[in-house]
Amino acid sequence: MESNWAADNLRVIRTLMERSAVYRRALAPLMFLAGSLGTLAAAIGWFARIESPRAFVGFWLTVAVLTIAGCFLLLRRQALRDAEPLWSPPTRRVLQALLPALAAGLICSTIALFNLGAAEEKTASIVGLFCLPLGWIVFYGCAVHAAGFFMPRGIKLFAWIFILGGCGLFALGSPDLPRRFLYAHGVMGLFFGALHLAYGIYLFCTEKRKNET
Amino acid sequence: MNPEPFLQLDRVIHEKGRLAIMSLLAASPQLSFTEMRDTLNMTDGNLTAHMRTLQEAGYTSVTKEFQSGRPLTTYSLTAPGRKAFAAYINLLEQIVQQTKSNK
Repeated sequence: MESNWAADNLRVIRTLMERSAVYRRALAPLMFLAGSLGTLAAAIGWFARIESPRAFVGFWLTVAVLTIAGCFLLLRRQALRDAEPLWSPPTRRVLQALLPALAAGLICSTIALFNLGAAEEKTASIVGLFCLPLGWIVFYGCAVHAAGFFMPRGIKLFAWIFILGGCGLFALGSPDLPRRFLYAHGVMGLFFGALHLAYGIYLFCTEKRKNET
Repeated sequence: MNPEPFLQLDRVIHEKGRLAIMSLLAASPQLSFTEMRDTLNMTDGNLTAHMRTLQEAGYTSVTKEFQSGRPLTTYSLTAPGRKAFAAYINLLEQIVQQTKSNK
């Protein structure tokens, strides 16, 4: 009997210590923001016919910077509203987990951005409009999966959709040259737009609305 | 069964609410008042009372500052608090082991 409560106490301590390390910011608004910007950017890229590989890479890097800045502002607002520090230990852990894969994606994109102009058209098109977007999707999936160790469990499944989706599209191969930029914007819109919006809706329906209490 | 480990348990930490607070703080360098309140589903008054007891025992320290003009209260474990928490866990493990070996 006595060992039961002692073992129970140890279990409670372990659970609470694990819970203390979990990132608790509401993710639904971030997903809505990222999804909306992703969808809008894909539509702009599609209809404005941003078809040169360099322009495509530059355009989506700008969208990424805007999305990150918007997410940062949302996080800051949440932290202020909840009277919590912005750079809390769980936030730092999540950022540290996200960083390696995102940095790898950024470095590859920067190198590509500078080299695409000198490459022949077919190679530039394959790299800029096929390899890079799918690489971004896989890198992003890896980054989110790593951060998922400090976040609620569902996010790892979300990350796997990116990883498997990106790899699957690699396996299916590149479309023909005239339609390649449409394919690239479509894929970006699907993964960084629609999927984020869908996950945002899921989170909105399931996340505990702690800030209303 | 040897009752000694049970008698040595720190009464300040052994209370359910304070044990929960100590567990959270042991896993994080610092936590804000609202983070702890929301994680533990405690009322403001309840959490304040427990924090006062822990502070009086010298187990936690409080930092009050302003973040963009809003007050921000954060708590962390002190060195004696961390030591007392580790000792408490050791005693719990001893109790569990003792009962297992008596079976």
